Amino acid sequence: MADRRRINGPPGATMAPVFEDDAGQPEIKNGKGRDRAPNIIRKTFLKTGVTPSASGSAYLEFEGSSKSGVSGLKLSCTVHGPRSLPRSSPFSPHIVLSAHVKYAPFATKQRRGYLRDPSERDLGTHLETALRGAIIADRWPKSGVDIIISIIEGDQDRETSKSQGDETWDMMNVLSGCITVASAALADAGIDCVDTVAGGVAALVQDAGEDSTPRIVVDPIPSDHEKVLGACCVAYLPTRDEVTNLWFKGDLPAADAGLYTQLVENGIQASRTANRVLVECLGEATS
Amino acid sequence: MASSTNVHLSPAELSYLHTSLSLNPPIRPDGRSPTQYRPLSAETGILPGTNGSARICFADGTEAIVGVKAEVEKTRRRWDDDTIFGENQNQEEGEEQDEGEEQGSSDWVELTVEIPGYRDDDSGTVFLGQMLCEALLADGGFVRRLRINRRFHWKLYLDILLISPPLSYPLPLLSLTTHLALLATRLPKLKSEGDEDPFFDDDWAAAPYLYARNPTTKRVTERPPVTLLVMAVGGNVIFDPSKEELAVADVVLAVSVGDDASSREGGMDVDGRSNNSGRNLKLLSIRTVDPPSRLTPPGVANAANSAYGHAQVVSTGANQKMPEARQTESEAVEGVWKPPRGGAKAVVMGALVQKVLVRGGVADEVLDALEGVDTS
Repeated sequence: MADRRRINGPPGATMAPVFEDDAGQPEIKNGKGRDRAPNIIRKTFLKTGVTPSASGSAYLEFEGSSKSGVSGLKLSCTVHGPRSLPRSSPFSPHIVLSAHVKYAPFATKQRRGYLRDPSERDLGTHLETALRGAIIADRWPKSGVDIIISIIEGDQDRETSKSQGDETWDMMNVLSGCITVASAALADAGIDCVDTVAGGVAALVQDAGEDSTPRIVVDPIPSDHEKVLGACCVAYLPTRDEVTNLWFKGDLPAADAGLYTQLVENGIQASRTANRVLVECLGEATS
Repeated sequence: MASSTNVHLSPAELSYLHTSLSLNPPIRPDGRSPTQYRPLSAETGILPGTNGSARICFADGTEAIVGVKAEVEKTRRRWDDDTIFGENQNQEEGEEQDEGEEQGSSDWVELTVEIPGYRDDDSGTVFLGQMLCEALLADGGFVRRLRINRRFHWKLYLDILLISPPLSYPLPLLSLTTHLALLATRLPKLKSEGDEDPFFDDDWAAAPYLYARNPTTKRVTERPPVTLLVMAVGGNVIFDPSKEELAVADVVLAVSVGDDASSREGGMDVDGRSNNSGRNLKLLSIRTVDPPSRLTPPGVANAANSAYGHAQVVSTGANQKMPEARQTESEAVEGVWKPPRGGAKAVVMGALVQKVLVRGGVADEVLDALEGVDTS
């Protein structure tokens, strides 16, 4: 018998209502998909010289998906330096590079604190590796440069409330954006580089549907696909044809080496496209 | 950063190292062959207070301990999971839920790395931790092992301690130790059934291993991933580089490989010995490690050094204003060390990865060697 002495809540738990978008066409939401060709990256906006107080700065924005509720990636980068190292630090024959990547507290679905968490530090290390190859470090002995990137808005699908583990794949996109924007800001600061380095992402994805086979796409939005099987982020110097940073994550059978090579090649292709945007932006800034 | 701890080598020493490592076959400072690992001694189950532990000591004196602790934790429910308290579920939805929850979540594993002399939020330490964690979580198979029932799971804490000072980049050591500790990990035997609150057998001897053993051969059927450190220098591929070798590397990669047991089941011989040759490796993650060679001081060629009787060339314009620029722009001189600039060709990186993954290659060898360690 139910407890009648107390005023009880309704039996069973209640849930906050979740509204479906495009209420009429639920099947479109399930058949969510990518509306770009597999080898086309999202439209990119890049502008240098946005922060007057820094010696170099840039702002980058990726176009959001056609779906509502998915905002694009928005990054702002400032470069401080080259400046002399503090007296206490030991002699360095090269420029000392330090890269900070920080999500704004409101950038993602889950709020980020003000302290950098391991994934942000990790992004910073990747970025440092990518840039260190591009900068001609021995032209500035005894000096340092700080590269600070804040992610104003991460590209995440705010409509999907269930966590699908997309965050891990989002990091790849964020890193490629970070590399491109940092490269633009470095050029704006007038720091000598062997080439403009740009980031590109390629992923092996599985689409929804019974009979779909895994395919390779560049610049993936994880929520557009049923499952991401593997992804790689490449930082690439086009004129030297060299890769400064390669980050691959996934689950590929070793016997199929062609798949890995294809992924990297597609990543390089994506980074070439991003580089065209970068070169055009820098051209506009100087003219 | 642990990889770029300053090696105190002069440009002349660096140049000598680079030349000898670029020879065919390369001559390594410690006389190893290019694919040879440092000799090591390993033991497991050294810490009675943990669910699993291991210790590895490399011949160069670096030593690491890994302890694995497990806790029961309530699985966080998702908004679309309408099977709260196990009621009001119709059959087909229930099945779908089961499938979905098999997935597990990456925050069921917490991995920390401690390296003496470095802060635990140092970027190098974080990078190491993330790299090891990434390999473990890559295929989602590992967290699936931690599921107890639909309401509870194990939360696994992996604590990796480097005991010795970091004499070399500790990645291979930490990865191998973690591998062994996970193999030795046992979780208490579950006595309750279904979605009840979990209740465990208090007989530790009955506790099953996290990585199940073949009941007849007592061999581990599936294995955790290992991360190998591999570098390229002048066309040679070198495994498990020491600190001095890293100081002249052109490119350094950390490659994580796993053992794909699911595809091996069919090919298993009756005596269970076939897996040495028939191991199917899978590629889980690759990361570029920033080579410390980029931070080494450049050498000065005699031709550009006024101390060696070279008269200062009266040059024009920019060169005169920027003596450093002139010095660094001079082209490579044989025997004069110049830190590498730019990145590596994608083909070179591909070759490194290929060398790791090739059947019967180093990854196979390492996994075979680890199989020899008694983890029971």
